[in-house]
Amino acid sequence: MENVLSILFCLSLFYLSVTSRVKAYVTVLQMQGILLTVLLVFPFINHFSAYALILPASLFIIKVIFIPRYINKIILDLDIKRTIEPTIQQFTFLLLVVFVMTAIFITSHVLSKSTDIETIPFASGFSAVVVGIIVIIFRKKLIVHVVGFLVLENGIFLFGTSVASALPVMIEIGMLLDIFVVVFLMGIALNKISSTLSGFEVTALGRLKD
Amino acid sequence: MDLISFVQGILSLLVILSFSPMFAGLVNKQKAIFTGRIGAPILQPYYELKRLLRKESINANSSSFISKLSPVINMVAVIIAAAMLPIGFARPIISFEGDIILFAYVLGLARFFQILAAMDIGSSFEGMGAAREATFAVFAEPIFFFTLGGIAFISGFTSMYAIYHSVRLDNVSYIVFIIVCTISVFILAVSECSRMPVDDPNTHLELTMIHEVMILDNSGVDLYLYQYSSYIKLFIYAILETSFFYPFGVQNFTLAIVIFAVVILILSASLAIVETITSRFKMKNIPQYLLFATAIGVLNLLIYTFTK
Repeated sequence: MENVLSILFCLSLFYLSVTSRVKAYVTVLQMQGILLTVLLVFPFINHFSAYALILPASLFIIKVIFIPRYINKIILDLDIKRTIEPTIQQFTFLLLVVFVMTAIFITSHVLSKSTDIETIPFASGFSAVVVGIIVIIFRKKLIVHVVGFLVLENGIFLFGTSVASALPVMIEIGMLLDIFVVVFLMGIALNKISSTLSGFEVTALGRLKD
Repeated sequence: MDLISFVQGILSLLVILSFSPMFAGLVNKQKAIFTGRIGAPILQPYYELKRLLRKESINANSSSFISKLSPVINMVAVIIAAAMLPIGFARPIISFEGDIILFAYVLGLARFFQILAAMDIGSSFEGMGAAREATFAVFAEPIFFFTLGGIAFISGFTSMYAIYHSVRLDNVSYIVFIIVCTISVFILAVSECSRMPVDDPNTHLELTMIHEVMILDNSGVDLYLYQYSSYIKLFIYAILETSFFYPFGVQNFTLAIVIFAVVILILSASLAIVETITSRFKMKNIPQYLLFATAIGVLNLLIYTFTK
């Protein structure tokens, strides 16, 4: 079951690398949030405990409801253009993602021989981290950078579940809070930038002088 | 091969040949309903084929023997490909180790001759269509090989009949495998049969078309052969898609037939929905759409290499 979810996660990464709409990026985030929640809830079907549901529930509320809504609100409020404006062609980007993913799968297969990890969730999480990074590198829009960062964080989450089956709940919740605060700060920063500069692109920030 | 399986093979080939125009009609009818029109009857493709048979075929002055040869080769190649597909649990007439390669290249041969014939006529417009068809074929072929090759790799067989019959439902990842493969075969079908997001079958005489422009100068029996073979081709890809669901009816003939019918209906509905809600892509976006399916195929292969 874990494999199934991780593969769906990989599919969402592929979709992320071909779509050219900011809205689709937010949808992908939501989908990944749902996948991660299901992944966390799944082990508790057999031995249920209310305490164990805290993490999935908070994950669901933050990743599926709050953050996407907040990003959508920023897009609406600041009237950001709805295309992502890549710096390289989508085709090249997808090709890059495929190569990266292949390399990661091979590497994690090699790793799984010597260490105790599950190949598919580990490799999918790792790929999400790398895809998040290359989204940040090859896209101009600031809001897309935030989404890239969140994808990266989702990757770390998936990656964590495959390495250690149970990270301490407090640490994970702390991490979630961190992410939430970061996104919040980003919103405030974007609002501030919009009052000074007209565009929301990295190129505009490059021209800043003091 | 004993007599019963031979008869079954013949029967399934006849099913493909006789029902393929109806599948196209079904898609068109549903598409019309979704867009709020009454639409042509489901049997309309049959009427159109019948009308074409009555007409005289005329070739351009500048065309050579290739234009006369190409429709026939096209038709024959597509029929050979159709004879390799298992319907339900019937053994296809042509079935041997490694037939997936033949399947791909028989369809490739049909396309090759169609492209040649389009260039043979000497119209620059058709040359453009031929160039586009060739370009997109380059991106479509890896989809087939990564998907079907992936299944061949998993099952350890290289014949379509054996592949589809060896896959069992006892591991969970088969469900993922179905999801992953149906998506990529769907994209393959859309691009190979020149359906909506890649090519618009309704735009005649516009600069946007790919497949339609290549058969613009054909008429009568030639056009009949081209049209009929394109209907069969669409149905072939539909069957390729249905085959993934056969293991749900393991060793049960009636159930397999029911699954076949249901999946065909669902597939026609989803083709119609996709064609209704999407518009045609820009030409430069098509390679990326096709590469997406290839990427899914690569993922498929990776999963199976590393979950063993």
